Amino acid sequence: MKQRITYLVEDPDSFTPEQLEAKHGSLSLKGLKAVQEHRVTFSLDELPAELRTALKKWKELHIKWVSPKPYVAIPPFTSRVSPGLHVSFAPRNAQPKGQLCDLLHTFFDRKAKCSSELDADEVATPLFHVDEDGKETPSVSLQYYTFLSHLTQFSSFVNSNLCPRSSETCVEHAVSLRDASYLDIDYTSALSTLTVTALTTPPSSGWEAVIPSPLPGHTTEVGILTHEPNPDPEDLAFAGFLTTLGPDAAPKPTRFQTPARHYPLPSSSKGLTYRASFATPTGLHPTLELSFSPAGKLEPPDESCGLYAHLTLPSSLFIDRYQFSDALFLASKNLASLPHITGATDLEAPDWVVPQWGSAALFELAVPEKGPGDGSWTSSIPLHLRYLPAAPHAHTRVPLPWPVVFWACDITQDPSGNPFDRVDLGYEQSFGPGTRFMHVPPHPGGNGNASVEGNENSHGEGVLVSWIDVPVLDTSKAGWVEMGTIGAVVAAFVGLCWVLFSGRGTKEVKREKKEQ
Amino acid sequence: MALSAFFSSSRSVFSAAIFLRAIFLVYGLFQDAHSPMKYTDIDYFVFTDAARFIAQGQSPYERDTYRYTPLLAWLMYPTAWPGFWFSFGKILFAVGDIIAGWMTFRILRAYHNMSQERALRYASIWLLNPMVATISTRGSSEGLLGVFVTALLWAVLAKRIALSGFLLGFAVHFKIYPFIYAASIIWWLDDDRINGRRTNTSPKPASIANQIIAFMNPQRLVLATCSLGTFMGLNMVMYLAYGWPFLDHSYFYHLIRIDHRHNFSPYNTLLYLNSSPKIHLNAGAQPSLELERLAFLPQLLLSVVFIPLFLSKKDLPSTMLAQTFAFVAFNKVCTSQYFLWYMMFLPYYLPESTLLRSRSVGVSALIFWVLGQVFWLQQGFQLEFNGHSTFVPGLWASGILFFVVNVVILGIMIHDVQSKDALA
Repeated sequence: MKQRITYLVEDPDSFTPEQLEAKHGSLSLKGLKAVQEHRVTFSLDELPAELRTALKKWKELHIKWVSPKPYVAIPPFTSRVSPGLHVSFAPRNAQPKGQLCDLLHTFFDRKAKCSSELDADEVATPLFHVDEDGKETPSVSLQYYTFLSHLTQFSSFVNSNLCPRSSETCVEHAVSLRDASYLDIDYTSALSTLTVTALTTPPSSGWEAVIPSPLPGHTTEVGILTHEPNPDPEDLAFAGFLTTLGPDAAPKPTRFQTPARHYPLPSSSKGLTYRASFATPTGLHPTLELSFSPAGKLEPPDESCGLYAHLTLPSSLFIDRYQFSDALFLASKNLASLPHITGATDLEAPDWVVPQWGSAALFELAVPEKGPGDGSWTSSIPLHLRYLPAAPHAHTRVPLPWPVVFWACDITQDPSGNPFDRVDLGYEQSFGPGTRFMHVPPHPGGNGNASVEGNENSHGEGVLVSWIDVPVLDTSKAGWVEMGTIGAVVAAFVGLCWVLFSGRGTKEVKREKKEQ
Repeated sequence: MALSAFFSSSRSVFSAAIFLRAIFLVYGLFQDAHSPMKYTDIDYFVFTDAARFIAQGQSPYERDTYRYTPLLAWLMYPTAWPGFWFSFGKILFAVGDIIAGWMTFRILRAYHNMSQERALRYASIWLLNPMVATISTRGSSEGLLGVFVTALLWAVLAKRIALSGFLLGFAVHFKIYPFIYAASIIWWLDDDRINGRRTNTSPKPASIANQIIAFMNPQRLVLATCSLGTFMGLNMVMYLAYGWPFLDHSYFYHLIRIDHRHNFSPYNTLLYLNSSPKIHLNAGAQPSLELERLAFLPQLLLSVVFIPLFLSKKDLPSTMLAQTFAFVAFNKVCTSQYFLWYMMFLPYYLPESTLLRSRSVGVSALIFWVLGQVFWLQQGFQLEFNGHSTFVPGLWASGILFFVVNVVILGIMIHDVQSKDALA
């Protein structure tokens, strides 16, 4: 087992080396205000036998969970994914049915929309990637998504089923996962390793922790880094201390540069954020509005850059791709194009007959010409709702995780060698290799007033989810619909037959009289 | 008087009909070019996309929601050419409208013995109807069906049996529902009709076998053979060319469709209720009877058996109207474009109907027919755009109300045709 714990200090001026102390092979932190990335790499034989057998059924498995609570993404942890649970995977040939759904239901969410009676490729949808000629081809990978607001089930499951009884650290880690901003789990059969990475923002007083010396045969590396301004804009530069825990542990100063795939906005655009919301009333055709403020800062970092939004839509919502082929329509919504859409795009089916999890779409947004300065700039994306199952209430709540918004720039670079690189995000494969992504951060207040479960939140803490109340057939009022409909149809049928038959009778009587 | 002068000239009526459609076409081009809200019907984009696929040597079913015969996409082939050709289909539909109107006029003249002015007045129900002109110039294919069905009626009345069979088979291939007309036309085609006079009723009580043999007269056999041959022949060709997707999208989809988006059908709410998974159902709740599975029974008994049997020998065009009306009213799905299906028969029925003879009956029927839709549309708007859950009672009740209005109007129609003496 290898552990790599990286702290990225938020404010370099507040950091002093006295906040670190290496003692008896362990490292203690005192009030360290830094974002923590904790990565644990297991080799397969270190895992419980059951888990090992389960993993061997996959060729590749990448699980990404992102908290709906907004967090500040500082380099090198700049990449973003929509809140919720994303799975991308390549199954082994002849994988038994229900593999994916059993995994999701056991570990993450008992209620996730995923039918074990179906093959994984019926529930999941193909991911696409762009090859070197710029051609889009389906990759071997499939993707799945479900909205999940917290990791409570996962954390309890790890705690009670996977942690060895003796290991307090394991239990602590399992519990701390509940505070994570995101969690990545990666398994690649070729490497025979399972990597678990969690990113956590510091508690308000900073980290107070003792990182213990590892058991024999294991390693623990701790880095405390600050992001340094860099004369070479192609690379990110860091400085700080690296410590390999063990008998001779001592923080060693370090300084290094690394290329990257994901960048924050350039300083000229500092302060730009976006919000997602629905135009009201939402009805059955809600319009997602992405508003950027201040609009004056919405300037391409480079001529080659385009502004994109990557949407992850649960199956209750869908996009009619045919709407987006008309230039006037696109322009009226401040959109440039819909270059990519995949997944459940049936335009008519109700939600309960759609086996897939939903759909993903990549929009290129239009950018204002010499913007209105301090005002805001809004792009609108018309969506449609499927019919949801009848329920004993008039409306059913449906989440829409906020999309990820970024500039994609055509600057050829090779991000390999970045120790913090994060891949399989769902959108980067839609661009050529070596594309640079510069992320527009979501508004730190999120949706402002609604909690993760969509109810009014007493704390007033916003999340990166927008909720829609979808009208459904209220079964508590529909008791007489069946008898009423059948009664009306039968009465109508009998009435019409009566007109037909009785008319014939009188007519024949008349004719008989005539003939006589 | 000016009105009477207008209707006495076929040139003026047809010029007006053409002018009306030309205006709508040009207006549509203008709106499409300048507004993100399109005049053109969504279905038209489906047809033209499908035509483009065909032009590229692909299957029209590559286009989502293309649920028609490939013939339609082939008819629309020129829309795949650049520029103004995009509107070719709309012009085709509009020309189809005019031809249907012209045939209606000829039928009224020849088989209803109407004066030119009177025939033009009634043909104008179709020709000068803004709803008909809008539907075809927006690019909906329903208007094209008007030509086929009116041509079918004309061919039958003119006793061109083989042609009738061909048109019937073609129309069913095109849109399925015209199969209901087979029943009334077959029943209508008795020997008296063909010989032009009433043969003396044989004094001997005919045995069942004799009756069956007598029923299978040459004209009925020709019609059945021609229509079935055309229908199966077209299906075979399309199946060989486009395979399973053709059968799946053009036929099976319509039989097992699963989208229950709100529409005028009385069954709509019930279908939504019973097809939706029972996630919240209490264990004690009563299981549904699922009687909606039998919805085809009253619909087909009326439109294919009883109405043709009782009415077709009295007045074929009005029988076809009543059949269509019953078929649409009792259908599991019903949208306003279906109303066009029966509107094309109104010119034959209305002249001698209670609806025109008794002003109060006619006006109240019209008012209730419109009110039923207004009430439903208002509930639909609250659901669709304001997100109010109006499924029950609003949408359900207005659907049932509109159904009842339709049934009463159908009752009047049946009664009217019933009280006619058989046409010679």
